[in-house]
Amino acid sequence: MTRYFPWVALLARLILGGTMVAAGYLKIDELDKSQMAVRSFELLPIGLANFLGIFLPFFELAVGLLLIVGAATRVSAALIGLLMIAFIIGIIQAWARGLSIDCGCFGGGGPVEPGTANYTTPLLRDFGLLALAIYLFYLPQSKFALDRHSSSSESTGE
Amino acid sequence: MAKSPAPKGKDNFTRNIVIAVVVGVALIMIVPTVLSSRTNTSAAIPASVSAERGYGIVYNEELTGVPVIDIYQDFQCGVCAQFETLQGGYIESLIAEKKATVVYHTLSFLGPESVNAANAAACSADQDQYLNFQRTLYSNMPAERNAGGWSNDLLAIIGGAAGITAPEFAECVKKGDYLGWVSNAAAAGAKANVNSTPTVFINGKEIDRDGEYFDIAKFRAAVERG
Repeated sequence: MTRYFPWVALLARLILGGTMVAAGYLKIDELDKSQMAVRSFELLPIGLANFLGIFLPFFELAVGLLLIVGAATRVSAALIGLLMIAFIIGIIQAWARGLSIDCGCFGGGGPVEPGTANYTTPLLRDFGLLALAIYLFYLPQSKFALDRHSSSSESTGE
Repeated sequence: MAKSPAPKGKDNFTRNIVIAVVVGVALIMIVPTVLSSRTNTSAAIPASVSAERGYGIVYNEELTGVPVIDIYQDFQCGVCAQFETLQGGYIESLIAEKKATVVYHTLSFLGPESVNAANAAACSADQDQYLNFQRTLYSNMPAERNAGGWSNDLLAIIGGAAGITAPEFAECVKKGDYLGWVSNAAAAGAKANVNSTPTVFINGKEIDRDGEYFDIAKFRAAVERG
């Protein structure tokens, strides 16, 4: 059974990394909108939201690339996991407060017509991505990776 | 990666180089982007623009004791055109009768042709024709965004249609004299937490999105309430 883990990890790396690269790439053209998307969650001070609107697309692109090539898999997975937790909190609080916004997860974002906001899809997606990130954090050893993990992921620290 | 040491005989050279390159390139891209999103105080601005008022084009700056109306708009935003059609005449009458200070903020997040149009609007302000130009822009808004409808050449022609004949105007539009100002106005909109267009503030407070934008009587009441 455990001999399949590196293949599962490879699949997880490609899905998670590919999603991150797509999310970052689609925002980098329109950072104004990315800033607006973060602001419209009405969670952070404006200055910080505007900074994150610029920072996040580059961050997503960078960790996504690292995951795809399998370099620093464990750290990248941990960072993405934390990011997903932050996104999940952001979306749940927006939903709970009745904001009408587009999450701007893949570009765009900002307010939408009242009643047309869709929070279920991004939430399910982020929980799924969080699960992949957790898997990679605990079992980072994978096929076709630049990382050289010791042959057994349990025997860490040798 | 502290918990995954390199096993004997294999080195991590390629991996470390790749990590360094990816992180390095990301940082090299982020830092100038963050810096350029700040306000460039040396950018050229039209005479009617007030840096203190978020780089908006200001009418009746000198008045006191009247409502201050801040209008954030994008010249490619269809709802902004509807707002202008419905309330533009009333707002212009407030300007003409000196009953309000009106600040037009031209945002540009709908794409490159919004930037073109905002720059051209600043050029028209230099010719004291901003309101004319704005009206002409909205009534000629292309159906499709960023599809060549508002190239700088066409914007210069629209200026002519609005009655702007000075050659400096076309020159200013085509050379993008006020592009620095356009990004300052965008940064000011971001700081003011403006997340959609049109957004209208009266005396610094946003009016009610559910009713006051598109109801003539309610909009007037909001202005008069101050």
